[in-house]
Amino acid sequence: MPLPKFEYLSPKSLEEALQLLADRGEGTHLLAGGTDLLVKMAHGHLKPRAVIALKQIDALGGIRFDPGKGLFIGATALLDEVASHPDVKAHFPSVAYAAQQTANVQIRNMGTLAGNLCNAAPSADNAPVLTAMGAEAVIAGPKGERRVALDRFFKGPGQTVIEPGEILTAVHVPVIPSGFGTSYQHVSPRGKVDIAAVCVGAMVGMDGATCKEARIVLGAVAPVPMRAEKTEALVRGKALTPEILEKAGRQASEEARPISDMRAGAEYRKRMTAVLTGRALKQAAEAAAN
Amino acid sequence: MVLLHIIVNGRGYDLQVGADPHQVDPAHTLAYTLRETLGLTGTKIGCNHGGCGACTVLMDGVPVLSCLTLTVECDGREIVTIEGLSPPEGNDLDPLQRAFMDHGAFQCGFCTPGIILTAKHLLDRNPSPDAETVEEALSGNHCRCISHYQVVQAVLAAAGTEADRDED
Amino acid sequence: MEPFQMIGKDVPRNDARAKATGTAAYADDLKLPGMLHGRILRSPLAHARILHIDTSRAEALTGVRCVITGQDIPQVKYGNWRLFPDTQDEYALAVDKVRFIGDEVAAVAAVDKDTAQEALELIDVEYEELPGLFDVESAMAGDAVPIHDHCRNNTSVNRKIAYGDVEKGFAESDYVREDTFRVHAVSHAYLEPCSALAQLDLDGRITLWTSTQVPYIVQCLLASTLEMRENDVRVIKPYVGGGFGGKMELRTWEFCAAFMAKRTGRPVKFTLNREEEFLAGRRRHPMTIHSKVGFKKDGALVAKDLKITLDGGAYNAMGPTATFLCGNFGAMLYRYPNYAFYGRHVYTNKPPASAMRGFGAPQSLYASEIQMNMAAEALGIDPVDIRLKNAQKSGDKIPDVATISSCGFTESIQEVARMSDWKKKRASLGPGRGIGIGCYSFISGGVFNWFNTQYPFSAAEVRAFSDGTVHLLTMASDIGQGSDTALKQILAEELGLRMEDIRITSADTAMTPQADLGSWGSRVTLMAGNAVVDAARKIKERLFGALSARYNLNVIYEMECREGRVQPKGRPDRGMSFGEAVAMVQKASRGEPLVARGSYTPRDKGLVTPAFGFGAQVAEVEVDRQTGLVEVKKMWTAHDCGTVINPKGVEGQLAGSIQMGLGYALSEQFVMEEGRTLNTNFLDYKMPTALDMPPGEVVHVETYEPEGPMGAKECGEGLASPTAPAISDAVYHATGYRCKDLPITPEKILEGMNAGGKKKS
Repeated sequence: MPLPKFEYLSPKSLEEALQLLADRGEGTHLLAGGTDLLVKMAHGHLKPRAVIALKQIDALGGIRFDPGKGLFIGATALLDEVASHPDVKAHFPSVAYAAQQTANVQIRNMGTLAGNLCNAAPSADNAPVLTAMGAEAVIAGPKGERRVALDRFFKGPGQTVIEPGEILTAVHVPVIPSGFGTSYQHVSPRGKVDIAAVCVGAMVGMDGATCKEARIVLGAVAPVPMRAEKTEALVRGKALTPEILEKAGRQASEEARPISDMRAGAEYRKRMTAVLTGRALKQAAEAAAN
Repeated sequence: MVLLHIIVNGRGYDLQVGADPHQVDPAHTLAYTLRETLGLTGTKIGCNHGGCGACTVLMDGVPVLSCLTLTVECDGREIVTIEGLSPPEGNDLDPLQRAFMDHGAFQCGFCTPGIILTAKHLLDRNPSPDAETVEEALSGNHCRCISHYQVVQAVLAAAGTEADRDED
Repeated sequence: MEPFQMIGKDVPRNDARAKATGTAAYADDLKLPGMLHGRILRSPLAHARILHIDTSRAEALTGVRCVITGQDIPQVKYGNWRLFPDTQDEYALAVDKVRFIGDEVAAVAAVDKDTAQEALELIDVEYEELPGLFDVESAMAGDAVPIHDHCRNNTSVNRKIAYGDVEKGFAESDYVREDTFRVHAVSHAYLEPCSALAQLDLDGRITLWTSTQVPYIVQCLLASTLEMRENDVRVIKPYVGGGFGGKMELRTWEFCAAFMAKRTGRPVKFTLNREEEFLAGRRRHPMTIHSKVGFKKDGALVAKDLKITLDGGAYNAMGPTATFLCGNFGAMLYRYPNYAFYGRHVYTNKPPASAMRGFGAPQSLYASEIQMNMAAEALGIDPVDIRLKNAQKSGDKIPDVATISSCGFTESIQEVARMSDWKKKRASLGPGRGIGIGCYSFISGGVFNWFNTQYPFSAAEVRAFSDGTVHLLTMASDIGQGSDTALKQILAEELGLRMEDIRITSADTAMTPQADLGSWGSRVTLMAGNAVVDAARKIKERLFGALSARYNLNVIYEMECREGRVQPKGRPDRGMSFGEAVAMVQKASRGEPLVARGSYTPRDKGLVTPAFGFGAQVAEVEVDRQTGLVEVKKMWTAHDCGTVINPKGVEGQLAGSIQMGLGYALSEQFVMEEGRTLNTNFLDYKMPTALDMPPGEVVHVETYEPEGPMGAKECGEGLASPTAPAISDAVYHATGYRCKDLPITPEKILEGMNAGGKKKS
């Protein structure tokens, strides 16, 4: 099917983009990589009146790492850039890994990490581990800039806290404190390159064998990527023995609220939540030790 | 009048943006422009929703899906399609094209242009990949006829690393 | 036998350069001046009566040139079983009713695709919804609404096979078991969506370029639905991006393109999009398979009673043939002294199922191969041994079918067991690992002639030239499988020429000799190959005659065409070049070109097939016992396709079969809700990717098939069957979960393991 017609706008600055967004109003959509927007348009699910392309805005591009402030991933930074960036690989390996696990080569060359978050699919590969790491969305709007932690960013499938007139300009990932480790785990029952049926991101802080801090985020088992807070409480202060990991898995599985869809049934998703939570905690703890 | 300057297979095109039949509408995908406006039908449309990889072209050397790329986003970009892979003069072929021919790395051939271009980028980045790297690189290109055995062999042959193919 | 010169060689494909450089033109790549673009309006309802269609708003839209509905076209039903008009149940556009979501209701042709699409939204259709029937049980119920008025119990075709005495057989058996298997629908998922372009000439004749496996069938059925004479329709097959059985009937867009070209005088092209292909496209038949089988203690088969119900969807399509064949496949692989089959083809309000690679065999053999393993286990016999005991052999006669003239099945089983180290692995693989076997037999084309062609099944014309070249014309359709290359190899072998000496024109109904039934049922190599050999031999006779006269040779000399020369065997000094010989024939007939026609129609070969392919496959898997994920670690294949014409071509068929088999077993399915296909894109319809493909090892068990050209027979479809049962058996070996309802999902594996599947530790 041909794409529906729309007005195409390509501002050169963030200010211009915000102005255009305000002027055009309802029915205006932002275009970064296009791998989600154009699919929706191709299927006829979305008929925007205007499309504002962000790629010409230099300030929105690139990946910056500052040992003190952490990582800034610009709104138009491609998934492939995130996956292959030396600083991301060195200091945020699970962020690079999650980006690497998103879709396939071509999509990673076109799609952006920010777009993956804004699309707000419950199964978004990049959401769980970034959320677990306390990453925040940097959002520009008519009233200036605000920052929203990712665990408050998602409101529902396809919905975020971004208001009409606002633009997500970057994702900020704080430095991983010493003694902390992260992990991203996902399972796709229909082959190696597939949308995740369940995904889990974890960050744990270890003191020897004891877990002193844990943040666990479950993807594709609720309308939004969700913190498994009871599971976090369960492991906090405990040694991550196989027994505790199994208990944590069971707890996470109880917290999960999955649905059945064409990718997996709810019951399977619950079981996988348990398996992946255990695996994520184990891997994160190992990473913390290194 | 907005003009787009796009280099396709080494040749520059100045395209007008607009709604007339000879112009590029903002809703035109790069796949559409290549096939319908420039007559480069070597770029195939297998799904038009980014799911099969048949429409893959190189943009500034990197494989992208032309069905999910707006032509108006390509201003100043350099595009290579299957028609532009081999030098325009003479009968020379890219080593990948030759390897695909020698290895019978296609049957129906509909996925072939996209696969060859994806492989081209892989070899540009990594001149001596192993089989698994090739498989990973091609995992966004569907092939229903022969799947990827002979394709992987052809890519390894073009890279000169065919012997690395580990059957176990 | 003398070694072949061209057969068995990895010659480059005929289309290699065109496909590697992007110059190969497929139907949607073709453009004609003034061409209009067509789109089809599809039914949003699964079952409804059409009360009224108002096209006036669409017609008024600027740029729209033609809008048609079922009321505008000749009301001629079509279907591939012309011999039985009752089975022809489809109109190009719905006339009275719609029968599935996606059924074709109207068509628009406009100056561009956007306009055509916009016009579709302006067509108003008033429906009266009827109850939808979405499974065979409710469709066959006594009070079910008939989907087609003429058809009671919605059962459109019945077929029985019976020989021996199954009841007596079961009574004599030491071990009898009964199982029910359910297998699901999958998509052909050819990469090229269907596309057709029609042009009207000044005399009112139609030329149609279309992505098809069967140009001759499209020609005939298009002519009848347009109420034209057959020869006033010319069908040309351009490059085709795969078919797998999904492009072997006349389809709506082919009719609409031609009909609207006649109406408007302008060329009209239709190209489907992928959503339409998934939403409304043909698919492999889901089947419910009830099988009762009896053995002696030693594993010898005594009897089988097979009942299969095919979920045909809304129209017959190729369902009658699948119904016929799945019964034959039930008893083609092993010797059954007593056999009974009852097959029913049932209409439901779903997209029509049709032919798909294997044509009933993947379904039928999934059940029979799994059941064989279950029986072997119960009898305490190794799955390999029980197969060897019952395997068909050369010379075996399948009652009412044919005598198997060549059969490398036993060798295939032995080879695959040897390669995979079967006995050791079956006994000793570690936890989560398993190994399993699946086997197949398949037809080399059908003998049945339900299309009722008046022509030979395949034909070839060879034109020989004094410059040493020949031109081969054949209606055989290369849809990617490589038949153009294989037929050239056969001709080159027969005439002692090189590939570059041969030009080929294929699959143009106005140019290539009548007729060819198309590319399906693994018929092309054997049937079109035989036609080529027949034509080539007629050419050779003429050349030998000329040579004989030139050198005044004794009539007892055997002659040959070899390495570009025509010569008496053993007397190269008395030979001449191929071109010189052609010139001499031409001189002798005062300038008449040297042309010969050849043909092939199977005769005295029963009603099923002239030759059988066989093979066996072993899969090794690793199952993650926590996630239920299956990774296929390796596939070993040994198969008998007779003489291998082109090794890379055969390997390609094998590789593609493994990919389809892997998808059939593990990842591919249509998710349906009330007759609607929900997964209509490649993200949600999961085909295996390059990363999912296991490494493989293959042995061609070469036999010589006396009915085939140079001893060749099928290799394209049989291999579509063994992969799923082999993987399924390996999953059972690894986990204790026995899958009787495809696909095998991680969810089912975990559930099956929980339900007390035999634990391996």
